[in-house]
Amino acid sequence: MNIEPVKDFTQATVDTLTSSYSDKWSGAGNAEQSSTFIQFMSSHELIFVVLGVSLIIWFVLLFFIIRVDRKVSKLEKTVDDNSK
Amino acid sequence: MQTWKYVVAVWMTLVIISGFLIPIPEIDILEQSARNLFLHVPMWFTMMVAFSTAFVYSVRYLNSEDIRFDRKAETATAVGLMFGICGLLTGSLWARFTWGAWWTFAEPRMNLAALSMLIFVAYFILRSAFNDEVKRAKISAVYNIFGITTVPFLLYIIPRQLPSLHPGAEGNPAFSEITAPELRYIFYPAIIGFIGLSIWMMDILNRYKKIKQLSSTKNEY
Repeated sequence: MNIEPVKDFTQATVDTLTSSYSDKWSGAGNAEQSSTFIQFMSSHELIFVVLGVSLIIWFVLLFFIIRVDRKVSKLEKTVDDNSK
Repeated sequence: MQTWKYVVAVWMTLVIISGFLIPIPEIDILEQSARNLFLHVPMWFTMMVAFSTAFVYSVRYLNSEDIRFDRKAETATAVGLMFGICGLLTGSLWARFTWGAWWTFAEPRMNLAALSMLIFVAYFILRSAFNDEVKRAKISAVYNIFGITTVPFLLYIIPRQLPSLHPGAEGNPAFSEITAPELRYIFYPAIIGFIGLSIWMMDILNRYKKIKQLSSTKNEY
């Protein structure tokens, strides 16, 4: 059939698409053999992954706001010292 | 940094963790998105607290004509507007997956909330129109007092009189005895946490503005 060469071509090149986008994602499958952390994160329909993402965002924001707070405190101190 | 800020940080972290982890009752359509109650609703509570703060400072400014109160009123309005915009965006996302649309003009609470946000966007446009500090402070204080008095009507009174998909329509409160009690254990702490966070933000902004004013007046001499 005419289709045959085309098929050969896709097999010959390094095919990342069909293997990556198949239903066998490397993360989703074999959680049983992994560490307890990975097993824990894979449980409960991956809700802990969302929790992790939310916590990362929250801690980055918190780090930022604490840094700005400290910077303003420092600035307040220098302004105070200058005015004396 | 003051101790209460660390308390707010730890408090909010615990709220986020427990908000994700507590088991919640399964309701069709809502499903796990019911957890948005801990995030979306406190945005509006925090906004109301911030705007009320702005209202008090605007009145105090007109009473004393002390520029510090104008500064604090502006800060509280900015933080309140930010939380209100967060409320609109989270509400829109939640609506897409429960009501089926990002935005619907048949929904009174959604549209009136957007309208009241526009009132406060206009506050900042009004402020930017003045170069004279005293004029700006006076007119924006008067505007803010009028602006904030419209908020309870736009967000609570009118939407309750109209049919709506949003909880809290047709004369009923949004949060009532049909709400599962376990949600309240996270919901109320979340409100306190977000209000604490907003006070923290206002504190930083106010201190920044104070230093900015100090250093700018010093340069003039």
